Amino acid sequence: MKRRKFLSLGAVAAAASVLPASLSATDFRATAPKAWEAPTSKEAIEALFGTSATVEGDIEIKAPKLAENGGAVPIGIVSKLELTTIALFQDANPRSAVVVFELGEGGVVDLQTKIKMRKTANVTIVAKGKDGKLYSAMQKVEVSIGGCGG
Amino acid sequence: MKIKAKLKKDVTEVKLLLSSPMIGREEAATKKVAESYITHVTAKVGGKVVWEASTGPFLSKDPYFMFNFKGAKEGDELVIDTIDEKGATETDKVVIK
Repeated sequence: MKRRKFLSLGAVAAAASVLPASLSATDFRATAPKAWEAPTSKEAIEALFGTSATVEGDIEIKAPKLAENGGAVPIGIVSKLELTTIALFQDANPRSAVVVFELGEGGVVDLQTKIKMRKTANVTIVAKGKDGKLYSAMQKVEVSIGGCGG
Repeated sequence: MKIKAKLKKDVTEVKLLLSSPMIGREEAATKKVAESYITHVTAKVGGKVVWEASTGPFLSKDPYFMFNFKGAKEGDELVIDTIDEKGATETDKVVIK
């Protein structure tokens, strides 16, 4: 019976995505829903971190200056800083927030992903350090063929 | 999903390819299809979260991730869990080489 009760609780938690679902320790879609609706990077950053006051630099964005395929623009994030939360924003799509990474204890800031960009725009990274400071970096990415959708 | 986890010295490098159309609101309306995108991805070793991502539909179709972390050893199991906007979950695992 205990097991059954546990399983049913799990199902309830998974169904109600407003709760931090059992599989996610930090679900920023649940904790900061407004950040995912914001049209501009500035608004999204404020909604997610509570402020857009950041320290520039110390984070390297590895992105092409000219992306040929806007449907999959490779973005790399590298830093020697000890960062816990790393968020990626862009101003090429209807809404700005793309992904928010949360690193565990042994996390190394060397990340890569691919994003959609339907036009040339700035890509902004804002990251929270273990020191509590907010760091940011920005790079313009030119897109020759826009990503599908949006 | 496809997972590769390789230990280089003391850092584990993970390459992850998920399977999702990543269709958001606007794309769903234009193409007259249903929204479908992954909203959260978690990577765990020994029950501990080593990396996670809250995701939206502006990641490319079939999202790709590469990430690195310390503290795991060869033979450890890396478990990936995903959940989409409908609450559907997927899980897969790989042994760190």
